[in-house]
Amino acid sequence: MTNAHPSLSPEDIERLKAPARRASIYRIFSYFSPLLLLLLWELSAQAALIDRRFFPPPSAIAGTAWDMIVSLELFDHIGATLRRVGVGYAMGAIPGVLLGLLLGLSAPLRRVLGPIFAALYPVPKIAILPLILLIFGVGDASKFVVIAIGVFFLMFYNTLGGVMQIPQIYLDVARNAGATRFQTFRRIALPSALPSIFTGLKLAAGSSFIIIAAAEFLGARSGVGFFIWASWQTFAVSRMFVGIVVISAMGYLTILAIEALERRFVPWSKH
Amino acid sequence: MNMAVSQTGRNPVAANAAAAIEVRHLVKAFYDASGDRITLAATDVNFTVKRGEFVCIVGPSGCGKTTVLRILAGLEQKLSGEVRIDSTTPPAMVFQEASVLPWLTVAQNVAFPLSLRGVSAEKQRGRVNELLELTGLTEFASAYPHQLSGGMKQRVSVARSLVDDRDVLLMDEPFGALDEQTRLTLQQELLGIWERTGKTVVFITHSVDEALTLADRVLVMSPRPGTIVADLAVPFERPRDVVEMRRDKRFWDLTYEVWRLLAASPEH
Ligand SMILES: Nc1ncnc2c1ncn2[C@@H]1O[C@H](COP(=O)(O)OP(=O)(O)OP(=O)(O)O)[C@@H](O)[C@H]1O
Ligand SMILES: [Mg+2]
Repeated sequence: MTNAHPSLSPEDIERLKAPARRASIYRIFSYFSPLLLLLLWELSAQAALIDRRFFPPPSAIAGTAWDMIVSLELFDHIGATLRRVGVGYAMGAIPGVLLGLLLGLSAPLRRVLGPIFAALYPVPKIAILPLILLIFGVGDASKFVVIAIGVFFLMFYNTLGGVMQIPQIYLDVARNAGATRFQTFRRIALPSALPSIFTGLKLAAGSSFIIIAAAEFLGARSGVGFFIWASWQTFAVSRMFVGIVVISAMGYLTILAIEALERRFVPWSKH
Repeated sequence: MNMAVSQTGRNPVAANAAAAIEVRHLVKAFYDASGDRITLAATDVNFTVKRGEFVCIVGPSGCGKTTVLRILAGLEQKLSGEVRIDSTTPPAMVFQEASVLPWLTVAQNVAFPLSLRGVSAEKQRGRVNELLELTGLTEFASAYPHQLSGGMKQRVSVARSLVDDRDVLLMDEPFGALDEQTRLTLQQELLGIWERTGKTVVFITHSVDEALTLADRVLVMSPRPGTIVADLAVPFERPRDVVEMRRDKRFWDLTYEVWRLLAASPEH
């Protein structure tokens, strides 16, 4: 349909398309805007506004990073962290979404089980890490579990909130169209809650990287968190910063990836 | 009841046709627990709709029209009274407010009832295209609802209610958001569909004009708590020409009659 508009002049079409084009340019820039922070840091360090012993300039960190990339030292750590986050995230997100949908649609279940989740939610995930290490050992399993717990609650509450906000009319439409309970779940509740689910996925991705860093400090022999901790112990500040930047970038890129999925799977909502 | 007899159309309904919908002494109230308040929405509602009949309900805003229709559709529980629907398929409903699903395209919205039943994609497509054609939405088949006008969304709802061809059609001000021109076209289409398929239709409108254009009978409701205060036969022969019938004096006499009834309803 788009290209057949004989009644519009080329200038009109230009004007019509301009906002969308501007938006996509902004989006490209927005991917790189965190780099501005690095630039500011570099300049402050060069101008000796901040203590170089604690905040080596990004250029120095980049040098260290380059050495580590060449020696492939970092990649094992990145791989270990990604594996733990990936598995733990899925272990938490899938039950979180399903239970959120279930409790959102069923008032009796919500009344009975809701308070249990509400009571468990405020328990600090890091505080129970020693317990989890005790139960699941210092291997990957304990990391999966601690991330899964953190992700679960974010997904559960965001999904529940999304389902609770479904306009009654959509449920009426489903009922009148003859939807079974499962179809209402799958065809109405899930898509209505999808925007909230994506908000949850982004929040959960951010906290997964926060949790994994802490978990790897305490009980791991690999991973970016372990790498940061080990660098700190030998007072290798540049290496430590490489670790910090790497884990931040991993979180950031994950969120960007989820946003791309959101644009693909929630095409009806405005971004 | 003086039904006009036409030679051309399928209608009117034979005077002895079986009742498709029977409502006896229906009462509906809402209770608001937080304010401890009871709202009586409808009291002692009585009417019968014969199989294949087209009945319009008119009445002032808030008198309980939507409530009665929702009870017929099984979306709301009655407080007391009797409601009987004699049909092999459940009634299809066109809702008063925007009811298209925002995450589905126009075509998917129309196909929704079929897709729930696992009708083959090919069959769905054929049927959906027919209805998009009928409602003038073919060009927007793959658009999302947020890209449509209010009237177009309403047309999607109408198309969806027709897609799986149920016997009873409950329509709650389906053409309310449309301009005069489109409304006339859709009224004509609806009458065409009804005449071809023999559906039983209950149609709510706040337009006396629309009621007389479409209905075999017009039920007039009193202000809240609503009850049926008049049951008027509309004598025009079928098939009707929605433009031509406005030259008929009886049209304006009936318009006057309904207006008088609406104005005479005691206020509460
Ligand atoms: N879910 C509900 N909870 C409480 N009160 C309700 C509910 N639905 C309807 N009512 C009340 O019942 C009465 C009748 O409402 P209804 O929607 O049936 O009116 P209506 O005749 O369709 O009006 P309109 O022409 O404006 O659409 C109103 O007073 C309304 O406030
Ligand atoms: Mg209404």
